[in-house]
Amino acid sequence: MNRPTKLLNRKTAGYSSLITFAVLLLAWLSGFSSRLFAVIRFESIIHEFDPWFNYRATAYMVQNGFYNFLNWFDERAWYPLGRIVGGTVYPGLMITSGGIHWILHALNIPVHIRDICVFLAPVFSGLTSISTYLLTKELWSPGAGLFAASFIAIVPGYISRSVAGSYDNEGIAIFALQFTYYLWVKSVKTGSVFWSAMAAVFYFYMVSAWGGYVFIINLIPLHVFVLLCMGRYSPRLLTSYSTFYILGLLFSMQIPFVGFQPIRTSEHMAAMGVFALLMAVAFLKHLQTVLSKTEFKKLFIAGALIAAGIVFLMVVLATVLGVVAPWSGRFYSLWDTGYAKIHIPIIASVSEHQPTTWFSFFFDLHILVCAFPVGLWYCIKKINDERVFVVLYAISAVYFAGVMVRLMLTLTPVVCMLAGIAFSCLLEVYLKEDNTVSIPKADETDEPAVEKKNLYDKAGKMKRPRHDNSHEANGLGSNLKSVVIIAILLMLMMFAVHCTWVTSNAYSSPSIVLAFHNSHDNSRNILDDFREAYYWLSQNTADDARVMSWWDYGYQIAGMANRTTLVDNNTWNNSHIALVGKAMSSTEEKSYEIMTSLDVDYVLVIFGGVIGYSGDDINKFLWMVRIAEGEHPKDIRESDYFTDRGEFRIDAEGAPALLNCLMYKLSYYRFGELKLDYRGPSGYDRTRNAVIGNKNFDLTYLEEAYTSEHWLVRIYRVKKPHEFNRPALKKQERTISSPSFVSRKTIKRKKGYIKNRPVVVKGKRANKK
Amino acid sequence: MLEFIYEFPFLLIDPPNLRIRKPAWIKTPSPMMVFSFVLFSYFLVTGGIIYDTIVEPPSLGSTTDENGHTRPVAFMPYRVNGQYIMEGLASSFLFTIGGIGFIIMDLTATPGKISLNKKLLTFMGFAFIIISFSTIWLFMRMKLPGYLN
Repeated sequence: MNRPTKLLNRKTAGYSSLITFAVLLLAWLSGFSSRLFAVIRFESIIHEFDPWFNYRATAYMVQNGFYNFLNWFDERAWYPLGRIVGGTVYPGLMITSGGIHWILHALNIPVHIRDICVFLAPVFSGLTSISTYLLTKELWSPGAGLFAASFIAIVPGYISRSVAGSYDNEGIAIFALQFTYYLWVKSVKTGSVFWSAMAAVFYFYMVSAWGGYVFIINLIPLHVFVLLCMGRYSPRLLTSYSTFYILGLLFSMQIPFVGFQPIRTSEHMAAMGVFALLMAVAFLKHLQTVLSKTEFKKLFIAGALIAAGIVFLMVVLATVLGVVAPWSGRFYSLWDTGYAKIHIPIIASVSEHQPTTWFSFFFDLHILVCAFPVGLWYCIKKINDERVFVVLYAISAVYFAGVMVRLMLTLTPVVCMLAGIAFSCLLEVYLKEDNTVSIPKADETDEPAVEKKNLYDKAGKMKRPRHDNSHEANGLGSNLKSVVIIAILLMLMMFAVHCTWVTSNAYSSPSIVLAFHNSHDNSRNILDDFREAYYWLSQNTADDARVMSWWDYGYQIAGMANRTTLVDNNTWNNSHIALVGKAMSSTEEKSYEIMTSLDVDYVLVIFGGVIGYSGDDINKFLWMVRIAEGEHPKDIRESDYFTDRGEFRIDAEGAPALLNCLMYKLSYYRFGELKLDYRGPSGYDRTRNAVIGNKNFDLTYLEEAYTSEHWLVRIYRVKKPHEFNRPALKKQERTISSPSFVSRKTIKRKKGYIKNRPVVVKGKRANKK
Repeated sequence: MLEFIYEFPFLLIDPPNLRIRKPAWIKTPSPMMVFSFVLFSYFLVTGGIIYDTIVEPPSLGSTTDENGHTRPVAFMPYRVNGQYIMEGLASSFLFTIGGIGFIIMDLTATPGKISLNKKLLTFMGFAFIIISFSTIWLFMRMKLPGYLN
């Protein structure tokens, strides 16, 4: 910023640092407390699916120590394969909360590990806003930084992944991401080895925390590359990038899950290529100082051609020979957007991998979605090395957020930063006093923005901004200015209201406990079926019982019921999942074969037809079919499950394959007998608003073991072969050979007799009936 | 030694005496060119162009009312993760208008403008922001009837 260098006297410096501190503290507090809706409404529990695994792993680490955790082979997941947890997990999250737990216990503060896990993400949101402040301060000004910090503290796009109880990698990874970027920008600015080494250290933390580290290791090289293209090479860049790259490479390879990927997979090749390029450019620059101009020109052309050819050949050769792995499907689907839909149904099936609609942008960012291009405009207008970085960050993040709803998360910090810049500049224009008496006020540009920030945080009471001198000599009228300022403040207030509303209504549901409003007496009912059923499993089944369910519920079964699962949310083995999908979508007989081959004892399905819960297994059923079809195209065909007109119906017109598949039968077993309404028909499914098509059927190979209160979770026991493998006879028809039968034939009496012949007892009449 | 290095390639190849000039139309793009390009792509992405290519929704929906007439519906109601093409473009247009409004507000600060001009600019930017804000509000109420209640 071309702000005049400030002649801060001690007093203003004190005030501005006090304001900074206060604003950051308030941002931390408000961010923390607005994430507590779920805890206050329900209780301190872990949410959703993935957090349950993280929690289970953390608890294991706290109990058994770090090294046992690294070597942990979990035989209770992916039966019969098992899972090497230590080598297939990003351990940063567990280590962070385990470390906090250890420190607190060393201080004799006995906090249960679950509470640490629940409150980790809200606490880290404060750190995120501090690091966002630092980064924005480096990019623009402290005022903009304070704006950005307050935005990111409450913006729904980030809250969606960091409410209390949502114990997931993203909660700490966004902090690591922002702080790494801050250190990187700092190191590019200063060119000091210290800052770039620090950036590498935080990059290491990021690698240990989240798979999204690939974003960093591609964005930073992109920054370097664009700087080179713009002719902005400098020795500072060489120092910082080479230090960062080499240290970061070595550090990232220390994580067992990452291993040798940084030198072997295509996702990381860009970083290596840019490193080589930077070295080549630095070498040429050095030669330029040594050689004369014409000599250099010749050498440059030849050298560039040869180098480009060699690099290209190397990459092609390495890929062909298999030294470098090609793009993995998840990353490939980012570029070729239709790829996942066609080839990898398991990626496309996850709802957070869906492409983003306009609604999500506005819902998650509100007014910031308008302010974002403005900040970008400022940055492009007054470009310098580090602003190139934020521009690239913005563009790439916008694109990725458009591809996947989930990556809205990486967009949110940069949107907050740029919106902070926009608002701070706007307020600079409108809060500046028309100082015709031209005393160059030192803190003019900085302070008003800071002050505004404070107002914004407490949206309720607004101090009047100071624009008392009302002369229209060269500026806008003070009336106009105050109108504009008040409008901006109102808009920011609307933003805060929107954020709170969204957080409270959309992002604070634990999805383990469901709550709904009863419209009759305006009371709030809580459905605790999931925990009820998982608790039943843990109490009433054998310790080594194998539970088959769709993969969404694998982590919860392992975490809450502590039973062995076949598939879970770590979807590493597509064929195993497809096998389960095949079992769910075949007829009972066929799936019994699969279930016996997999040693299944219990089958768990989620059924929402009674209460109208839309996220149940029947609604997910088509994905099971699709995934199964991917691996077993001969046995399962998606078209069989649609009616002739291409509809997915569960009523009497539904496709026969659907009405007879295992998932259908397990969901609707004895549902036909249930009358939800006095007047309505029996067997009426509230989720799909239809009467089910197949009402009276019996299960041969399974029997109902447990159904939770609202039928949300239904558990079936798989019968053993001897339990059904004989003709079933009614009790009257059974002939039981009594063991007490003794043949009356002896050697002497060889006369035969007829069984059941009426016996004539002498001296009595045969009684006639 | 150095001379050998840089002359070595030319022992093997004989460079043709070409005169390649950089064509006049290749220039470093001006900042505002870059920005307008970025803004346009932002417009497309926030309008869910990627969603449109993957999911391929119709440009407008239609419903049948009680008399059996088909009426076009611009917004996919109650579905937060679905959209029609036109609704996405309309709302991202409003996002962009709002952004431009902010930029216009800033342009008032550039020195050397007469007072009336400045007032007009401020008014215009202000109107842009307010219009986009309130219209998106309406859109939200259509998508999500309970919004902010």
